[in-house]
Amino acid sequence: MKRSVRVGRPLVLAATAVGSLLTLAIFAFMMMLGRPLFSDHSLNLLLTQAWAPDRGLYGIFPFICGTLSLVGLSLLIAFPLSLGNAILIHLLAPRRLARFLHQTIKLMTGVPTVVYGFVGIFFLVPLIREWFFRGSGMCILSASLLLAMLISPTMILVFLESFAAIPTAHIRALEALGGTRRQKLVHVILPGAKTGIITGLLLALGRALGDTMIALMVAGNATAAPESVLDSVRTLTAHIALVMAADFDSMEFKTIFACGIILYLWTALLTLSLRYIHYNSTKLSHDQTF
Amino acid sequence: MSKFLLSHPVTFYEGINACFIIDLDMKKIIETENLSFYYGKRQILDHISVGFREHAISAITGPSGSGKSTFLMTINRLWEELNGAKMSGRVSIFLDHEKLDIYDRGVSLSWLRRKVGMVFQIPNPLPMSIYKNLVLPLQMAGFKKKEYLRSKVETVLKQAFLWSEVKDRLPDDARTLSGGQQQRLCIARAMILEPAILLLDEPTSSLDEKAAREIETLLFSLKKHCSLLMVSHDQAQVKRVADEVLELVDGRISELFTTPSSIRSTKSGIGHFRP
Repeated sequence: MKRSVRVGRPLVLAATAVGSLLTLAIFAFMMMLGRPLFSDHSLNLLLTQAWAPDRGLYGIFPFICGTLSLVGLSLLIAFPLSLGNAILIHLLAPRRLARFLHQTIKLMTGVPTVVYGFVGIFFLVPLIREWFFRGSGMCILSASLLLAMLISPTMILVFLESFAAIPTAHIRALEALGGTRRQKLVHVILPGAKTGIITGLLLALGRALGDTMIALMVAGNATAAPESVLDSVRTLTAHIALVMAADFDSMEFKTIFACGIILYLWTALLTLSLRYIHYNSTKLSHDQTF
Repeated sequence: MSKFLLSHPVTFYEGINACFIIDLDMKKIIETENLSFYYGKRQILDHISVGFREHAISAITGPSGSGKSTFLMTINRLWEELNGAKMSGRVSIFLDHEKLDIYDRGVSLSWLRRKVGMVFQIPNPLPMSIYKNLVLPLQMAGFKKKEYLRSKVETVLKQAFLWSEVKDRLPDDARTLSGGQQQRLCIARAMILEPAILLLDEPTSSLDEKAAREIETLLFSLKKHCSLLMVSHDQAQVKRVADEVLELVDGRISELFTTPSSIRSTKSGIGHFRP
């Protein structure tokens, strides 16, 4: 065995073990710190009850609803827009326009979330308030629109990468058969980029789940479960930020660990899904080689 | 000056960089006039004027970089998908005794590519089943009836000598076929649209000897259905299959053999390219 392999393998194994243990340690740490809450309240109650600390109710159900509705709506807005944008850049736009759009989207990924928040507060929120004549304008709809803007560039770039990875031979084959642009898109590009499209969607979902600033600044932070897209909501991440800023050792404070555990589990599920997709796609391409 | 070995009566015009040959006996299927092609500032084809016979295997040969594949792409306008490429001159095909300038504004690209099929150097079945690979061109052309699609698939697979090998595995992924089978599938896929012309860009270069011979036999049998224009590096193969040969060197016509006998009788032999 080569010396580099002999030395390198244990190092890589050690690094992997430390990384995995750290991840598990974070989970254990949250479970441990949230123990007083978990021992007094069943998990079922925590996940289903309303949030009313003055009445001894520490349920995070409204925040779960707030997070899911915000993330769901933002994905619903962002996915078709991102796919359309990626198709425009890859297939339809003239070369110069495509390059300009691509660069702009790359630039958008670097814009700090707080900037989106400002745009939301000073531009979008008043607009929504005036359009719908209801509430402060700080609601799921405003936050979802901004969140969609935040996650779209990630999705577009992943979609574009997966479009570009489609073998030229497949594209040429369809062109030589008289395929139009639409047929190229339907029969080769979209089916070929399926894995990339799902990956982009999951990555964007992860980004939307983890975002704190937009939810905190624009969603209104109401602690009740929402009934319409014009209701204010508090997300799990916004709840963690708000409680941490004002509290330190109360039972309310302990709820942030419950929120953290849920976010952790969702993120773990997303990561495992991505791994599964990646494994399946590489297995498929390996099978195709032989 | 270009050298021509011709056994048929011909009229022969020569310009500065242009040669125009009309074989009085032949029924042409493709004709190029002053065809020049550029990638950026680099000239790939230099005023090529030539005609190819109907229902024949016409081979284009020559050293690497001489413009053979580019010449092929001007016949179905596939080069138009490339960036920085431009073309001048005229390319015509003859369909139902009518001459048609394929770069005319009225010519639909989809229609043209259905009339002028193409098979590439490396087999390129699409990542779908064998059956879907074959019916997709028909579906894209607007044919929907299942019975018709099924009968066409059987017909072209028989034409491509592939039916007995794949009839029980039509739902299988086309990429599970061997290289030779994949190339025959690609030929069948091109033939399913009943093209008048089939362009073949070194169709056997990525295959072993046995698979290459099978393709050659297939090409012979396809002559009655369409006219074949094939780029090949394999000089022995050209001698075996071609009815006429065009040799390109540096984007110009170097030699033209219009009959199989003239190909075999040439002293220089095919492949004796100029340095």
